[in-house]
Amino acid sequence: MATLTIDGQLITVPDGTRLFDACREARGEDLPHFCYHPDLSVAGVCRLCQVEIEGLPKLTIACNTTVRDGMVVQTRSKRVQQAVQQILEMHLINHPVDCPICDQAGECGLQDQYMAYGLYESEVAKADKVRKAKVQVIGPQVILDQERCVLCTRCVRFCDEVTGTRELGIFNRGDRAEIGVAPGRRLDNNYSLNTVDICPVGALTSRDFRFQKRVWLLRATPTICPGCATGCNLRADHEGGRIYRLVPRRNDEVNGPWACDLGRLSYKDIHAESRLAVALARGEGGLESRGWQEARAELFGLLKPGGVAFALADPRQSLEELVLFKRLGLRLAGEAQLAGGIAGEGMAESDGILLAADRRPNRQALRWLELPEIAPARLAETLRGARGTLLVFGGDPFAHAEIAAAAGRLRVVYLGTHLNATARAAQLVVPLAAWAEKDALWVNGRGRIQRGQRAVAAPGAAREDWRVLADLLDHLGDSLDLPGLAAVRRLVAQELGLADLDVLNRLPVGGLQPELPAKAPTQGE
Amino acid sequence: MSYKGLPEVVTRRRRSFWESAYFVEICKGLFVTGRHLVRNLLHTGEMPTVQYPEKRREYGPRFRGRHRLMKRADGSPRCVACMMCSTVCPADCITIVAGEHPDPAIEKFPKTFTIDLLRCVYCGLCEEACPCDAIRMDTGIYEIAADNRESFVVDKEFLLDNDKDGTL
Repeated sequence: MATLTIDGQLITVPDGTRLFDACREARGEDLPHFCYHPDLSVAGVCRLCQVEIEGLPKLTIACNTTVRDGMVVQTRSKRVQQAVQQILEMHLINHPVDCPICDQAGECGLQDQYMAYGLYESEVAKADKVRKAKVQVIGPQVILDQERCVLCTRCVRFCDEVTGTRELGIFNRGDRAEIGVAPGRRLDNNYSLNTVDICPVGALTSRDFRFQKRVWLLRATPTICPGCATGCNLRADHEGGRIYRLVPRRNDEVNGPWACDLGRLSYKDIHAESRLAVALARGEGGLESRGWQEARAELFGLLKPGGVAFALADPRQSLEELVLFKRLGLRLAGEAQLAGGIAGEGMAESDGILLAADRRPNRQALRWLELPEIAPARLAETLRGARGTLLVFGGDPFAHAEIAAAAGRLRVVYLGTHLNATARAAQLVVPLAAWAEKDALWVNGRGRIQRGQRAVAAPGAAREDWRVLADLLDHLGDSLDLPGLAAVRRLVAQELGLADLDVLNRLPVGGLQPELPAKAPTQGE
Repeated sequence: MSYKGLPEVVTRRRRSFWESAYFVEICKGLFVTGRHLVRNLLHTGEMPTVQYPEKRREYGPRFRGRHRLMKRADGSPRCVACMMCSTVCPADCITIVAGEHPDPAIEKFPKTFTIDLLRCVYCGLCEEACPCDAIRMDTGIYEIAADNRESFVVDKEFLLDNDKDGTL
């Protein structure tokens, strides 16, 4: 341990701590900086985090200094402030100051730093600034503006160290130096949008989010990525019932500070044209819209114990929903006619960074709940001779032609979010809330339970899934008293065999990796 | 609760006999009205009433009238869709949809720019917030009338070509 004095305050930190981190702890806020990022190597190029260390003749950058016992550090002295102000002036010599059209405005390091250390009187006329290329499309997701860049090299280091793809570099020297893509390359990797996040200025902007919304108008809700079994922690930025972007939330146990592009763009599904907003029932002219009460009556009519040939869920449904669905399936169809999903669906290659091979967010929950997955061929065979109702909860099993063909004589009840092949073939379609429209628990591949909160309202008459399932269970005489989600989560805890029934109602921000009783072993990813 | 120096109960002033008899008071009122009538008939030029709409009052140059959007030399809007005006607007009456401009030197432009004149409180904060001097309220137009609500929601084309005619 090293004890040092920062701004007159004694602080003890472990040996080997960066002075930058020690200063953050002592000050309660970061030192001004552009290039330092805790998850990347130290570059020490922006020179903003200067501090005064007693005994050293010159100011030193805190990010590239390790703490020493007995150090006496000043971070707010006149000398430091003057230095930061001058360095910031240097950074701004060739900055175009086009904040009005810059997407970064509102969350820009330059703006923030300038509010604190600005000189406010520019000594460089706008006409004398070095002009560089603007609006450079450097990849499928990212646009580069070389004028705005402060050459902090965060993006270069990200591509070197995190993805290992090395697309970016600094070209030329002096005031001609600029970030660019290596000749013949594009910034085309599945993590390219992270460079947009870590860019402290507006040099790298997202093509998807570009000009869609000013960032200060957005409201943030913590959610969990539905894209794969990793369960990256995301923040949904939304306004007026629309999600505009997903950005990663730091969780060192799961995704660190990163998230992949595939997951970040997964919000598009929520606002797709094919979202179901009203209940649909088959009439003479195909699917017709139904009021909620009518649809409910029809649902109760179609789902009678013994009359259900098969009940099929999907690993894209949340933990609470799967628990309720299992209960419902056992009551309606029995254990042999109940499956948690189609085996092999959504399996692809893992990329070794974050994206898991299993592209379903909740397959681990199926294993915990002992809801088996069924192969398409076997399901088709089971359905071929069956009569009655097929209950499909989420997913799109009818995308498999053999299942669609085999289910021809069954009346299909589809509880889901999108008008897909299954919904089109259904007798009754009940619209449900999508993943960001409900408060739900997800179990990632490593068995961590994480909570995603409700960012936006579900469209039209779509309802939260657990309410529909609880309503059905109540109708079928399962006397569960489920007044709210907290009660559902107690039921989930009971189902999983957790000792503390309220533990899921008090989940820590980073999620919880519960010790489950031996009957439900945690399997690999 | 009591305040020092103030009576705790306010007593109503009692009317005098002549006041409660009304007749004298009515005569006093009619006398004031008559005085104004005679004065206006004798000095018609000094009458405070304006013969609107034939005559109009002069307003100061800083009077905030209906908004207009400024143009560049080529006639395109000066606005860069930075949303400063719609952010600062206390009535939330400005709606802008930004788009990508083909010219990288301009980069961002308003695809749509609508102002709901019924919601606008004419405070002028949008003018003040604009970094490009793209929106002004210097038209002097204060007669904003229409026979349906939809007409009060004016679009970019209208604001770019905002003439002195008050009809919407």
